[in-house]
Amino acid sequence: MTEKNRREFLLRVGSTAGMCAIGYQGGAALRSLVPNVSYDAPTTVKVGLPSEFPEGLKFLPDLRLFVFREGNVFHAISAVCTHLGCTVRAEALPQPEAKTVDGKPLRLTHRFQCPCHGSRYAGDGSNVAGPAPQPLAWYHLSVAADDGQLVADLAQTVDHDFRLTV
Amino acid sequence: MERRTNSPYPRLDRPVLAIIGLVLVLSTVLFTVGDRQHEWRYYQFAFRNAVAEKYGPAKADTVRAGLQQVWVPDLGRADRCTTCHQAVQWAGFEAAEEPFRTHPKEILRSHPVEKFGCTSCHGGQGWAVDVDPAHGPVEHWEDPVLGASLGESYGIVDNTRAMMQMKCNVCHRYDRETKGADFINLGKQLVRDKGCRACHTINGRGGTIGPDLTNVGDKAAEQYDFSRLNGQKTAFAWHVAHLKEPKGLVPDTVMPNFHLSTKEAQALATLIMSWQRAPVPASFVPSVPRTDPRTPDEVVAEERMKTGPGAWFVSTGCFVCHSIKVFGITSPAQIGPDLSNAVEDVQSRFGRTIDDFLAAPTGTMSVVLSRQIILTPEQKQVAIGKLREAFAEYQKQKAAGTLKPVASH
Amino acid sequence: MRRLKRLSLTDSSPAAPGVHPQPLWSLRPTSDRQSGDAVVSNFILHWFPAKVTKASLDWNYSFWLGTVSAALLLLLTVSGGPLLFLYVPSVERAYASIKDIEFAVTFGSWIRSVHRFGAHLMVAAVFLHLARVFLTGAYKNGIGQGQRREINWVLGVFMLLVTLLLSFTGYLLPWDQLAFWAVTVGTNIASSIPLVGPQVRELLLGGRAIDQPTLIRFYVMHIIVLPGALGALFVYHMWRVRKDGGLARADRAARLPAPAASGPVPTKTYTLLGVARGTSPAVTTTRLQDEEATVNAVPDLTRRAAIVVLGTFAVLSAMAVLMRSPLEDPANALVTPNPAKAPWYFLWLQEIVTDTTVHIGSFTINGAFIGGVVLPGLIVGLLTTWPWLDRSPRAAAGVWFPQSRRTQNIVFLLLTLFVIALTLIGTFCRGPYWHFYWPWQGWPDIPTRL
Repeated sequence: MTEKNRREFLLRVGSTAGMCAIGYQGGAALRSLVPNVSYDAPTTVKVGLPSEFPEGLKFLPDLRLFVFREGNVFHAISAVCTHLGCTVRAEALPQPEAKTVDGKPLRLTHRFQCPCHGSRYAGDGSNVAGPAPQPLAWYHLSVAADDGQLVADLAQTVDHDFRLTV
Repeated sequence: MERRTNSPYPRLDRPVLAIIGLVLVLSTVLFTVGDRQHEWRYYQFAFRNAVAEKYGPAKADTVRAGLQQVWVPDLGRADRCTTCHQAVQWAGFEAAEEPFRTHPKEILRSHPVEKFGCTSCHGGQGWAVDVDPAHGPVEHWEDPVLGASLGESYGIVDNTRAMMQMKCNVCHRYDRETKGADFINLGKQLVRDKGCRACHTINGRGGTIGPDLTNVGDKAAEQYDFSRLNGQKTAFAWHVAHLKEPKGLVPDTVMPNFHLSTKEAQALATLIMSWQRAPVPASFVPSVPRTDPRTPDEVVAEERMKTGPGAWFVSTGCFVCHSIKVFGITSPAQIGPDLSNAVEDVQSRFGRTIDDFLAAPTGTMSVVLSRQIILTPEQKQVAIGKLREAFAEYQKQKAAGTLKPVASH
Repeated sequence: MRRLKRLSLTDSSPAAPGVHPQPLWSLRPTSDRQSGDAVVSNFILHWFPAKVTKASLDWNYSFWLGTVSAALLLLLTVSGGPLLFLYVPSVERAYASIKDIEFAVTFGSWIRSVHRFGAHLMVAAVFLHLARVFLTGAYKNGIGQGQRREINWVLGVFMLLVTLLLSFTGYLLPWDQLAFWAVTVGTNIASSIPLVGPQVRELLLGGRAIDQPTLIRFYVMHIIVLPGALGALFVYHMWRVRKDGGLARADRAARLPAPAASGPVPTKTYTLLGVARGTSPAVTTTRLQDEEATVNAVPDLTRRAAIVVLGTFAVLSAMAVLMRSPLEDPANALVTPNPAKAPWYFLWLQEIVTDTTVHIGSFTINGAFIGGVVLPGLIVGLLTTWPWLDRSPRAAAGVWFPQSRRTQNIVFLLLTLFVIALTLIGTFCRGPYWHFYWPWQGWPDIPTRL
């Protein structure tokens, strides 16, 4: 490379490097907006001792969760409508129904209706009418080892044959 | 042919521009490297290795990477201690060096991390993610970690970790004695025994000869007079020295010398520094009862209702409207008649047996039994059996003359 | 950034003067026409003239301080962007959000440092720019018709005040002890104005104490009102520079006579789309028309502007990496830090305010009023009206230290040195209780709680 070309090349490299650095710094400004720490509520939550839950249905409004109890068998269904996220309301059935869901029997005492756009769900969460595209989610339940409280894991969905026997 | 003005500037300026470009690249590299270099990255790496060694690689994968935060909205604390102190809730690291040590389990049971955070008990700067600013003391952060190293620097007698109890007392202030806070308990005992309240108002009660100490833990360090204090100029040291020899720091004081031992003076100083105006949400205050207190008689009566002969009527909900006084069941509403003598009462009112009536109820009961309390045929049989038991008891008590009147509301 | 020339069937035929078949602009133009086209076709570059005098480009005339100030304004706006998303203007959460920026946000502490040091540098740069303009008499008009450089000077003084206000309002936002007490002092100075003082203070604070209303007022001023005002003033300032014919120094080149009667001078005809060349009846002109006196704005002016802007950025970037921006204890209305100092650009005022409480018989005038309101008011008033009070001849415009302006320049320099001296004293020689300490004397230990 001739002297002139080399000089030209170095000068080009310098200016281009500068432009790239500016671009990177702009990207750094954008990266700063991606959160590194979460201020969200925790997803595994202790919801209370099993004895605090009545037969049938208990609604936990801050978790938007229905906890069902049949004797000492528990399961939990989300109250978040799968259409656009409103909280559905439970309505007691005039007569409890028995249904086989995912191969296991389930005693349905309520059905659900969403006040926003009228989606309807059966007692096992399956969407039966209205714009809801999916059934209501079922969440994992367990018993805490240290104090025996029920623990709902809102980050873990389960199939409709999930039962927690206490 | 287009003209082109001659210019000396390209030859002069282009090198300058190139150099500036390189300086920009350098500063970019510098700040990127600076951002990546944090001690917590090393600690996370080391912990993951420790877990892999102890529990295998599958478990090691569950160790979370990146900044960790415990956010307690009620206390406004965002604590990032668990970024380095990842072992806190992992079993099996009780004997490890910090920051890889498991947290004692007992205290976590009553003070779960999700509810309290870390700094409300340990102190320190929860927002920080580097060792020095997090632990303190650093300039402009007056709340260092109240751990062994701070205790050692003050020569705390017997237990170098005792200063942490200062934080316990911010919430447990109105306890007479707090389990696990011996240092503070010693201080509170001394306040009672030495009669501090004779001169000082503490927690709103006491004398006015000396200054009000109710919120003295909030007093800024600069407001103390350190002119006569040797050694480190801290509010804590001032209190310890003052308690040991009041006249040494405040020459014209009337406070007597109580001849306290070093340990006693330190315990009292820890207690004093804990008296702060810290707003504690009600759900955190330990000694506030969760329910209105019951008399012993009420306790017995409630127990009998729940577990005695009439417990079936409580669990089904019949007792909401009906008392069964022979079994000690008192209805809160007393809308319907006492069921103790339902066997004969139903007969005289409706001309039917109770079996009949329960099978085909009339009036209010038809509404209740079809909507609110739905009994299976088996349950109705149980009801009938219980009612007959109650009636038998009723007849017995009537014959013995021990029939109690129903308590009126 | 060369654009590929689009070929067309008509490419070979010569275009009529002033008519372009397609845009030719490029930041590395190969001809004068292409250079002029860059200026005319580009939104940002069209503010520049097509040609600039070499005199204007000189480093050691203006030191490009105006460009440095503008570059810093740009950087402050850009670094303020992410901060806008991350900062929470509530008294409960402001401090926590700054701590988050410092510790938990990727590059957060660097962005914050860029913003903070950029603000300090901008105050310095704007003041130096004012000093340069004063010392070279560039607020004076030259030979051009319709020049009104005094307007530009007044605009500049206003921009200096807005810059100081921007810095002051931004200072409160971290809601730490430094911020809280600096604003306490500043707003109490405002309240010393006779008759309307307390009302002015109440308006500033949104109440009687520094609390949430104050924070939100200062925040809105800082992110919308003052930047908007500064932007508008900046645009007007730039427009006036063009209207007044460029830098004052360019006028001087125009005033020097040509060495000899020049031949027919190629004139320029401006069309809608660019510059065409042609000749017209001969005109003898001044040296300004000399070939050697001017260069194309693109690329020579743009390259230098890039050097200044990128250079400012490089310096600021490096400073932000190497130095941490301060954040003190959370704001506590019950405890005044000792000592409590104003930001460095107001420290000279704090010094004066300390020493100017006057007792005349039984009548006392608060130093806050004399040193905080009267004196700065006089200085600003004098600065603003100086172009009309200046009696020096036009020839003095655009020259460093001309003889005819010697007195005013010396007075200005002395006042500046006085201010700098007071600032240095305030920074290094004032300790707790504002007692005087020589820089080598240690301050007494500041006690802590634990």
